[in-house]
Amino acid sequence: MVMKRRTAIIAALSIAAAVVLILWKPTVLIYGLQAAGLYAAVAIPMGLVLGIVHIVNLAHGEFMMVAAYAAYFGCKALGMDPLLAIIPTAIVTAVFGWVIFQLTIRRALKAPELNQLILTFGLAIAFTQTINLIFTSQTYKIPLDYVSASMDIGDLTFGVWSFVFVAVAIIFAYGVKFFLTKTMTGKAAVAVGQNPRGAAIVGIDVYRTYGLVFALALALVGAMGALFLTKSAIFPSVGSPFTMKSFCLIAMAGIGNIPGILGASVLLGVSENFLRAFRPTRDWAEIVFFVLIIAVILARSLKGRKS
Amino acid sequence: MNRNASRILAALFGVLAVTLPFFAGDYPLQVARNIMMYMALAITWDMLLRSGQISFGIAGLFGIGAYSAILSVIRAGMPAWFSILFAAIFSGVVAFVIGFLILRLRAMYFSIVTLALGEIFRIIIHNLHDFTGGPEGVVIQKGVIFGGNANSLYWLVLAGLAVALAASFWFEKSKIHFALTAIRNNEISAQSSGIDIFRWLLLAFVVTSAIQGLLGGIFVQSYGFATPDAVFSADFTLLPLAMALLGGVYSTTGPIFGAILLGLASEWLKLKIPYGHLVVYGIIIVIVILFMPQGLRQLVRRTSHSADGRSA
Repeated sequence: MVMKRRTAIIAALSIAAAVVLILWKPTVLIYGLQAAGLYAAVAIPMGLVLGIVHIVNLAHGEFMMVAAYAAYFGCKALGMDPLLAIIPTAIVTAVFGWVIFQLTIRRALKAPELNQLILTFGLAIAFTQTINLIFTSQTYKIPLDYVSASMDIGDLTFGVWSFVFVAVAIIFAYGVKFFLTKTMTGKAAVAVGQNPRGAAIVGIDVYRTYGLVFALALALVGAMGALFLTKSAIFPSVGSPFTMKSFCLIAMAGIGNIPGILGASVLLGVSENFLRAFRPTRDWAEIVFFVLIIAVILARSLKGRKS
Repeated sequence: MNRNASRILAALFGVLAVTLPFFAGDYPLQVARNIMMYMALAITWDMLLRSGQISFGIAGLFGIGAYSAILSVIRAGMPAWFSILFAAIFSGVVAFVIGFLILRLRAMYFSIVTLALGEIFRIIIHNLHDFTGGPEGVVIQKGVIFGGNANSLYWLVLAGLAVALAASFWFEKSKIHFALTAIRNNEISAQSSGIDIFRWLLLAFVVTSAIQGLLGGIFVQSYGFATPDAVFSADFTLLPLAMALLGGVYSTTGPIFGAILLGLASEWLKLKIPYGHLVVYGIIIVIVILFMPQGLRQLVRRTSHSADGRSA
């Protein structure tokens, strides 16, 4: 009952906030939602890995960066549109992720959590710097016409392409949920996530499942890498902010709560764009997320101590 | 290696470090200064690690120290040498305040929050244009420390390193060592042996942060300028971490040797590969974590079969 009332209050507040924003600053809501879609679509695979393999992958955004570079050079070589590259990039990234998992992360699964953290931190640096080494810090971009498509409502004009991220985020969230609740492999993965030893006793190959989940998450990351390329220029450190943002969103939603990531990302995306809409506060938009992450973690730790 | 031999070696190193400006040229001196700076940071990172807390926020406190030193000279007309002390005190106070909030956190939550705090400091400095000079940073116009004499600046950095070393030995030889090790091994048993966990963590956090701030102050005084991107650079977090890991954590000697090895290697690589020489750091971190979590120290130990020295 208490929970229900709280959810109702949160829902009412967010609807009220949305109505106020639509009337007052519609662009904040529009661009906020678009940003939220991008954040959520990148964060969901990380949430999957964190929920089942229990690894904080600090190289998450860097994997997406590598995927975007792969997509870029694939597209350049074959003259293809990044949208067509989504599936091939997803496959390549999944294989790449699986190999990295087997070579490194798998060996650290039993190590203390801090070692895993430092390990993936090292992977992140290795990825960024390898790309930096090969392609230098130059930016690459594929110019596309359909990206600049815009829409007019009244005297309001805004870009519509980025709504594709919102769609992808929703597909990812419910696709992952479907996978975890309806398919045999997904159910096995949930079992492994809840209790690896118990899962092993009933005959699930735990390490195979870890590898599979990691590869699946990386396939989603790869798809996002190709899709990201349509919208944005790429450079070696383009992925790193997404690592932290994804982690922040997952921490807000609670580990294992994949659809909750959608709500958390709307909060982050809209509040960032809200600050960006006013000249004096524009430069402070970047700080929102860092303050949010600290607030969320502190709030959780306080709550944990009380109960 | 027996104890006497290592003492003699340490003394030789010390003499070499102090007298280096008399026979080395400008370039080796500059390299040595860089290495000593990172070495000191690596030692402070390791000091906090001995309690089991991984900080990703070295750059944040280093940057705070750097900016408090340079701004106190420019805006308040403080003498240069005093501004360095001020940097240490200011960083220590900042660490004391945020320590109350974040030292209740454990494991990855602590690490992520320190990383986020570093970014928050950077953004604040970046955005307070009128006071901090914004993204272009600030330059010391007059009253450069020691008139910019390279030898004196070298000794200044060496003094900073000496402070870090002294603090590290103090941590190692006093009862702090036992408190921090107990906390790292098992907090519940530490608590039941009467260790006030929060107090010891706060002590370690404030002391290491103050030294990081001190080093930031020294850094900024010896170059005479500060920009947010230069002093909050991720290098100040990444390099010390890799150095300490390579040399061997939970010790003073580990970070020292890690810093010398990696510092020289990266200097050499910087000349060979202008872009992306940092890849070496990433790969070293991965390899060390996977194959020798105790670092090079473990290898040395294993091969020399010495039984002396305390196990960390």
